[in-house]
Amino acid sequence: MKQNFTSFLGKMRDAIFAFVLVLYSSSFAFSQVQGTVTDQSGEILAGVSVSVKGTNKGTLTDMNGTYKIDASNNSILVFSFVGYASLEKTVTGNQTLNVSLEVDEKFLSEVVVVGYGSQLKKEITGAVQTVDYKDLKDLPVSQIGQKLQGQLAGVQINQTTGKPGQGMNIRIRGQLSVSAGSDPLYVIDGFPITGNIGSINPDEIEDISILKDAASTSLYGSRAANGVVLITTKKGKGGTHISFNTFAGIQQVPVKGRIEMMDAVEFAQFKNEYYTDAGQPVPIEFQNPKQYEGKNNDWYDALLRTAPLQSYNLTLTNNGEKSRTSVVAGVFNQEGVVINNAYQRYSLRINSEFDISSKVKVGFNLAPQYVYDNTPRTDGDRGTGILFNALHTWPVMPIYDSNGDLTLFNKFPGSTGNIFAYANWVRAADQLVNETKNTNLLTNAYLAYQPIKGLTLKSTFNVEMLGSKFLFFNPSTATSAINTPIPTTAVSIRESIDRLSWLNENLATYAKTINDHSFEILAGFTNQKFTQESTRIQADTYSDDRISAVQGAININRGGTNNGVEEWSLTSLLSRLTYNYKGKYLFTAAVRRDGSSRFGSDNRWGTFPSVSAGWVISDEGFMANYSKISFAKLRTSYGVIGNNNIGNYTSYALINNTVNGVFGSTVAPGAIVSSLANSNLGWETTKQFDIGLDLGLYNDRIQFVYDYYNKHTTNLLYSVQVAQEAGFSNFNDNIGQINFWGHEFSLNTKNLTKALRWNTNFNISFNRNKVIALAEGIDRVYGTFHITQVGQPFGQFYGHIAQGVYLNKADLDSSPQVPGRSVVGSIKLTDQNGDGIITNGGNFDDRVIMGNPFPKFTFGITNSFNYKNFDLNIVGYSSIGHSLLVRHLYSTANLDGVFNLVKEVQYRFRSEANPGKGFYGTTVGGGNVTGIERDWMNSRFVADASFFTIKNITLGYTINKKNKIFNSARIYTSIQQALQFTKYWGGPNPETSAQSNGQGDGGNLSPGVDLSNYPVPRTYTLGINLNF
Amino acid sequence: MKKTLIIILFLSGLNSGCKGDFLSLTPATSLSSATFFVSENDFKQAVNAAYVPLRTIYNDRNWLLNEMHSDNTYYARNILFGATEQQEDIADFAVPTANGVTSNTHVLNEYRQDYQIIARTNQILALIDDVDFDAASKANLKGQAQFLRAFAYFDLVKLFGKAPLHLEPVIDRQGAALPLAEAPELYTQIISDATAAIANLPLKSKQEAGRVTSGSARTLLADVYLTQKKWAEAETLLQAIVSSGEYTLMPTYEQAFSDTDANKNNKESVFEVQYLQGSAGLNGTFMYNFLPRPIAPDELLPITGTSNPQPLTGEGNNIPTPDIIAAYEDGDTRKDASIGYVTLGGSLRDNKVYPYIKKYAKKHSLHNNTGSNWPVYRYAEVILMLAEAQAEQGKTADAANNLNIVRTRAGLGATTASSQDALRTAIYNERRVELAFENKRWPDLVRTGRALDVITAYGNRIKSKPLDYYYPSGAVARSNAFSNISLLYGLPADESALSPYF
Repeated sequence: MKQNFTSFLGKMRDAIFAFVLVLYSSSFAFSQVQGTVTDQSGEILAGVSVSVKGTNKGTLTDMNGTYKIDASNNSILVFSFVGYASLEKTVTGNQTLNVSLEVDEKFLSEVVVVGYGSQLKKEITGAVQTVDYKDLKDLPVSQIGQKLQGQLAGVQINQTTGKPGQGMNIRIRGQLSVSAGSDPLYVIDGFPITGNIGSINPDEIEDISILKDAASTSLYGSRAANGVVLITTKKGKGGTHISFNTFAGIQQVPVKGRIEMMDAVEFAQFKNEYYTDAGQPVPIEFQNPKQYEGKNNDWYDALLRTAPLQSYNLTLTNNGEKSRTSVVAGVFNQEGVVINNAYQRYSLRINSEFDISSKVKVGFNLAPQYVYDNTPRTDGDRGTGILFNALHTWPVMPIYDSNGDLTLFNKFPGSTGNIFAYANWVRAADQLVNETKNTNLLTNAYLAYQPIKGLTLKSTFNVEMLGSKFLFFNPSTATSAINTPIPTTAVSIRESIDRLSWLNENLATYAKTINDHSFEILAGFTNQKFTQESTRIQADTYSDDRISAVQGAININRGGTNNGVEEWSLTSLLSRLTYNYKGKYLFTAAVRRDGSSRFGSDNRWGTFPSVSAGWVISDEGFMANYSKISFAKLRTSYGVIGNNNIGNYTSYALINNTVNGVFGSTVAPGAIVSSLANSNLGWETTKQFDIGLDLGLYNDRIQFVYDYYNKHTTNLLYSVQVAQEAGFSNFNDNIGQINFWGHEFSLNTKNLTKALRWNTNFNISFNRNKVIALAEGIDRVYGTFHITQVGQPFGQFYGHIAQGVYLNKADLDSSPQVPGRSVVGSIKLTDQNGDGIITNGGNFDDRVIMGNPFPKFTFGITNSFNYKNFDLNIVGYSSIGHSLLVRHLYSTANLDGVFNLVKEVQYRFRSEANPGKGFYGTTVGGGNVTGIERDWMNSRFVADASFFTIKNITLGYTINKKNKIFNSARIYTSIQQALQFTKYWGGPNPETSAQSNGQGDGGNLSPGVDLSNYPVPRTYTLGINLNF
Repeated sequence: MKKTLIIILFLSGLNSGCKGDFLSLTPATSLSSATFFVSENDFKQAVNAAYVPLRTIYNDRNWLLNEMHSDNTYYARNILFGATEQQEDIADFAVPTANGVTSNTHVLNEYRQDYQIIARTNQILALIDDVDFDAASKANLKGQAQFLRAFAYFDLVKLFGKAPLHLEPVIDRQGAALPLAEAPELYTQIISDATAAIANLPLKSKQEAGRVTSGSARTLLADVYLTQKKWAEAETLLQAIVSSGEYTLMPTYEQAFSDTDANKNNKESVFEVQYLQGSAGLNGTFMYNFLPRPIAPDELLPITGTSNPQPLTGEGNNIPTPDIIAAYEDGDTRKDASIGYVTLGGSLRDNKVYPYIKKYAKKHSLHNNTGSNWPVYRYAEVILMLAEAQAEQGKTADAANNLNIVRTRAGLGATTASSQDALRTAIYNERRVELAFENKRWPDLVRTGRALDVITAYGNRIKSKPLDYYYPSGAVARSNAFSNISLLYGLPADESALSPYF
């Protein structure tokens, strides 16, 4: 009783105090306080609410971020703005009060974009990761994939080639498939795009969410199994605001890490020894290797150059009374570090939203874009990839003739032969045309209507268009196959593609809170259709190299000339129920039903449900005792999702109508059923379980997120061999099963928060997979140098285990040999089956798994520092425990000496007395002997490719002083691909993988092959951000 | 008003996706099963394509399995050239066979090509009755499909003795492989198809040249009956062919065989595999396969009429043996028409003169590209089959008369054989020389029960006198030669790996 009374008195006191205060404020003249509100980086914030605490007095900052408010001394001003931490400041008699708001990074208030909506981060029950995109805005790169490297737990991002605008291999939670695509689904402003994500201007992006588990992705149904990347573009907010961002820089390929090849003298010395060791007379050209001193040509280096890049972006945002607009105009221009390589992008995005009434909004987003790319066929296998070719071209061959002109064709002079003749790769790179011109348009239009409170009806119509023109022209003087003299036959390929993808979505959302119960119900249906038409014309034998037009060609290659039409359609129904009790017990159920033209007629519809639940432990009363724990949430999910990247017409039996008969002298058109139909063909199914913990400590200064996932992918699309008595060789079926599991940790810490601010973002991921089953009666599938075998991880390197070389006769006699081929000094392989001989393939195969292209773990670490006006950001990315197959050694270490060789071959076996380092074997005996180590894949080709790379270092300085020209400015300097720590010896890029460029090696089954792709350059830039 | 507009917009969105065919998208640049087999023209195309595997069979494989796998032809060993064991194993009766399967690639390919015909004809026969079009055209198309299916199964049963029996199109993975059917079951099907084909097919004079006719089907069925020793049934069919008046022997033996462009499907032709010279890939190359090697450009020119800057390397196949050369009677004009001789400067033998098959070596314009057809059934064979059927039934006079028709054209006198036994032998020998290099020798040896004796003796001759069989001096027959003289080939190992049934 007494207690109650005291409490009553307290309340009375407060009420009286407030009353007096109000009286006071209304009857006396107050001084006016004014100022500007900015964010941490000095950018102006318009629309910030400014109020005097304890009163109903308030205002908003204007377009220049300024406010004026009447407030007395010692009263408290409260500044609040969505996405930023509220700030309270006491008025101290000073007339001007400028404040800077900090982005609120607490679990509680952050709003996260999720599939078909947004949610408070606190209430999310799935595994969704967002990227602090602001911190990445100054990375001087062309693609968002490069920006995301090292930022995301559970997402492996490798830059497989340094080609501008290309080669980012993004895998969420290790997802892969035998023959279906494994790229995540990219959704831009709600529209799943079909084009290349690499060409999006990164400056248009405001926010990225990565959806990883089934609960967060199941609303994308049959396209969700590879994970979903949600991209939100910039919207108008905060008054009128113009900013201009630009950077310019240069790129170089560091010398460190390049493959060390023999120089002219060393190679001549090798040839000299080659003949000497074989007991043959040394050809005159090699009798005196020293004569080539000073005649060395580094063909690889000759293809490289220091190349500039520039980027310009102008952003305008406007938040009017009844409309919001943002405009981003960008120009990006990158010359490649390989000669004649160029990449340009011109882009514009206009996002507008209009309030027709208080209940109706319409919006239009329009993003046209033009991308030009010319890459003179830098990557690829021997004969195709110019960089690979240049690498092993003999260094004495001249690049320029005595007149200073590029030579035409390089044949070794004299009678030695046996050195392969090649085109001049510098000329080839210079003259080859391999250009793509893409005109893209991405548009969204939507109408949102709120008939009653809590209910939103939204209808969107999205269109994506692409017009693409490709031209390849190999003039007669450019390049040809090995040993084929130049001039050769000029060849052109031109292809034009027209693509149209449209999506209509109709969604209804109803949100309601009744006491402690909050519901949100989403229901919708969508239709999407994709159509692509292409025309390809291949022509050859030109009368004049200066004209690449088809009419200049003497021959049209019918086999390479065709029309294509690709179409698919998707009709879907989706629904989600979100419920929470007191924001503490969270529950979500979602389901999508997809009908797809890609699926067989008897299996047209798939259902993809998920459930998830979360428990915000920190909201429980008993947690009050653990004050250091500011936030704790346990969440778990389970669901079924699909992968529909199975091809558009795979379920159909196709008719080949070119199987013509002959009767007498008449050709009779004939047609056969060339493939088997499978009316049951469907999506690949992934069932995924996830459990996670979100933790905030010390008032969320330390934020920790952990996830464990386990997923089973079944119904893998696979072209099963069938008995050909059927009249067919293969049948496309859904079979096989892979299990994936992994652990992901991310940790964000604010290490220092005073004058020197230091934040660290660390994430580490462990992804594993195992093949559980393949087809009935099939326990393994071979890739080019790989095996995918039941009970083992996917796509393992497969070959012989090398044990050095046979050192002497006794060693040879006492060891298993390759019958008729092994000699003293040749490679010594392991007899795995103990039958006494070494066999490659067949029933007595001695090959085993010899390496793993998948890392044990990957991690990323980003440190950012702020001190006064300085900021420093360092991004690191690492992958540990993965191997690469150094495939180019089949040419660059070909002991027959027909190409230039890696320096290490100097230390090969030459005699018992001079056994070398035991790595490369004897050259004596020709292909019968050397072919074993060259052509039989063995463990010497496998190299540990673990790396830690400082991807980016950026140092910036902000000028906050408003002046006539700008409100604020920031200048910065940045180094991309700054430092690489690796023991990888196979080439400059330990992230490479030939297959992911679609070049050569058997696709999904053959990852991690190094063919000496385009190296990733180091880029030095200087940039400036201006805010007006 | 505004509200109404919004509702209309929203509902129009609802409608856009509800059309039934929104999800049915068929390939637009190639036909698919969803759009094919709906018209007469579709079935015509399907039938045309069902003939196509025969081009591969006769160009590449059948002569290996049925002619070089006999005492008529052998390979001309070129010790400078390797990777020839697949062919040599066949000629040497040394095809490696274990548990009834063999890894020989030629066996595999012939098997697979036969099943290509079977799969294509099954597709036609399963669907054609569901589509309504001109009855005469439909019967003709059905008849052709039935003939081709019977023909393919006849090839399989002769080579393997048993084979999976597919009569419906395969539609799923489980149905791809079927249990092996034994010979009686296969023959029942062959006879049923061939009988139906006879009824459905028109006479040669009513059929487009080159397609099978009722005469072709009767010959096929008679061939089957001879194999089964059903002499009377065979005779009836063969008599019907003779009395149809559709066929005569060409004036000379040489004229019986087609040129690269002319003389195709002539009056003697009952069924030919059709080739067309040119770049469309419809040509044959078999006459080049039958040349001894290495052959220099100037040695090639008189034979083919074509010039090629490079010599043809490798090892020559299907080279006439001394045995077949000796089998011709004196004065037989067929000998010079069938066999020619060429001197190879690049040969490692002391005697650089090689015989080669001349009857197909018609001059043409494109190197390694000819349009000469392959004679599968000729009227001369119909007459010899008739003679054999009659002789076996004791109708010796009729048999001798028919035999003499063929002998007369060859410039030979009437046969001296009069007893059933003597006539039988005479007919066998007549078949050997009349049908030399037409892939009849091995099946004839098998069906007449002479294979083991003939081949064993032949093998002994090769092993004792390798020089006579085109080995260079010092070379001998391989150690495994004539180690596996069996009447049937093993089933292909690659198919065995994919089938649970063998």
